[in-house]
Amino acid sequence: MIEVEAVTFTYAGEASPALQQLDLKIGEGELWAVLGPTGAGKSTLCSLLAGFIPHFYRGALSGTVRVAGVDVPGSSLAVMSEHVGSVFQNPFNQVTGARYTVREEIGFGLENLGVPQPEMFDRIEHSLALTGLSELAERSPYALSGGQQQRLAIASILALRPRLMILDEPTSQLDPAGTGQVFTLLRALVSAGETTVLVAEQRLEWIARVADRCLVLQAGRKVSEGTPSEVLSSPELTAWGLCETRFSRAARASAAAGVTTLRHQLPHTLDQAVEYFQ
Amino acid sequence: MPWWACYLTLGLLVLPLAALARVFGPLTRTLWKLVLPFAVPILLIQGFFWGEGEVLFTLGPLSFYRAGLIFAAASIGRIAMLGGCFLLLSMTTRVDMLMRALVERGLPSQALYLVVTTLQLVPRFQAQAHRIQDAQRARGLETEGSIGRRARALVPLIGPLLLASLMDVEERALALEARGFSHRGPRTSLVTLHDSSSQRWLRIGLWTLAAALVLFRLFAWIRR
Repeated sequence: MIEVEAVTFTYAGEASPALQQLDLKIGEGELWAVLGPTGAGKSTLCSLLAGFIPHFYRGALSGTVRVAGVDVPGSSLAVMSEHVGSVFQNPFNQVTGARYTVREEIGFGLENLGVPQPEMFDRIEHSLALTGLSELAERSPYALSGGQQQRLAIASILALRPRLMILDEPTSQLDPAGTGQVFTLLRALVSAGETTVLVAEQRLEWIARVADRCLVLQAGRKVSEGTPSEVLSSPELTAWGLCETRFSRAARASAAAGVTTLRHQLPHTLDQAVEYFQ
Repeated sequence: MPWWACYLTLGLLVLPLAALARVFGPLTRTLWKLVLPFAVPILLIQGFFWGEGEVLFTLGPLSFYRAGLIFAAASIGRIAMLGGCFLLLSMTTRVDMLMRALVERGLPSQALYLVVTTLQLVPRFQAQAHRIQDAQRARGLETEGSIGRRARALVPLIGPLLLASLMDVEERALALEARGFSHRGPRTSLVTLHDSSSQRWLRIGLWTLAAALVLFRLFAWIRR
């Protein structure tokens, strides 16, 4: 699904590269999380895979980037929008403002791609059902909560049936309830085989719950790759600029206090913590 | 056009159509609010300062003239008729549907987006302004109270509002691109515009009427 080989990218006007010698291979039907501190290159990677680099953000790009069999630098944004869907941080900014109901908002992208009307109705209903927005279909997009608006953004992209969905910190402006809605939805979409998902995130506990694989970036370089458990249990986690989850901190604290012995696989979710401490 | 013709149009055409479309109440309320700020000064200025002809009544040193009243009534009637027609259109027609019809007749679809989003800018700006004002209030800025205090609170709002809106533009542009906004090729529409034969005949009738009126005025001008 994603093949990135020896990619280096430097934004126009910047001295140091935002991504350096990056190699990455992602298979179909997986949920990948891109982790790293601010400035690690997460958003740059998302922009690169969506085609915004080099077609929207200019700079020096070297290496190979192929997504869903499409050569990204050689394809226009319009072509990329048929294969890759992007969801951004601010749900409010993703409402087009050109449609009056949730249903019509989802139809906006389909209209642009010239999808025939009967198929449009099917796709919209499917997206509404998948994202749990069916009951809100006739509401104004501006009358939704932040979490609902972000689900609407996801529904709008899902209707386009992208082979890859990229989400750049989609929960950074959401409350815990909204965050839970988005992550639960993403896991359900991948499990149902609807799409492949790559999500740049900081919320490690949710990543541990829903992701299949993790990629860790630091200063534009790949520093680790593996399952959430492998990555989040790494002793180098803090050196990469990431914070431990409260469950793994509790495990270390309990080991330091002599209550339990420290095991190789630390807990990162509530379920894992229950099992670990039992 | 005689002064009473505007009122006749309003009473016999606009208001019955509004009642038919079930927007009579909202339309008359909005029209009243729209016309009143113009009507009062026009009536006072024209009535008292016309300066010649029949005096209807005097108020201390001021006289209210009949000719001024007729001129004011004509002016107010024109404003009311224009406002009524505009309100009837805006209350009974969704702008996106109207624009969709225009796109089907050859207007670029990007123009449709521009017009519709511009009309929806107000709620976006309001939401953004409320967020900024909440943040400023949290840091001690007084935004409520007298008119003067409210006016002063607007000044520190303008800069962040403009900057935040500009910063949002990039993400909005990318979000549009992600949904195929620049996709080439034919576009489709989720909404089907129903165009009945009676609507078509009405359109032809209106075009004919408009052409006839233009010709009538043209001939009247030539004969003069």
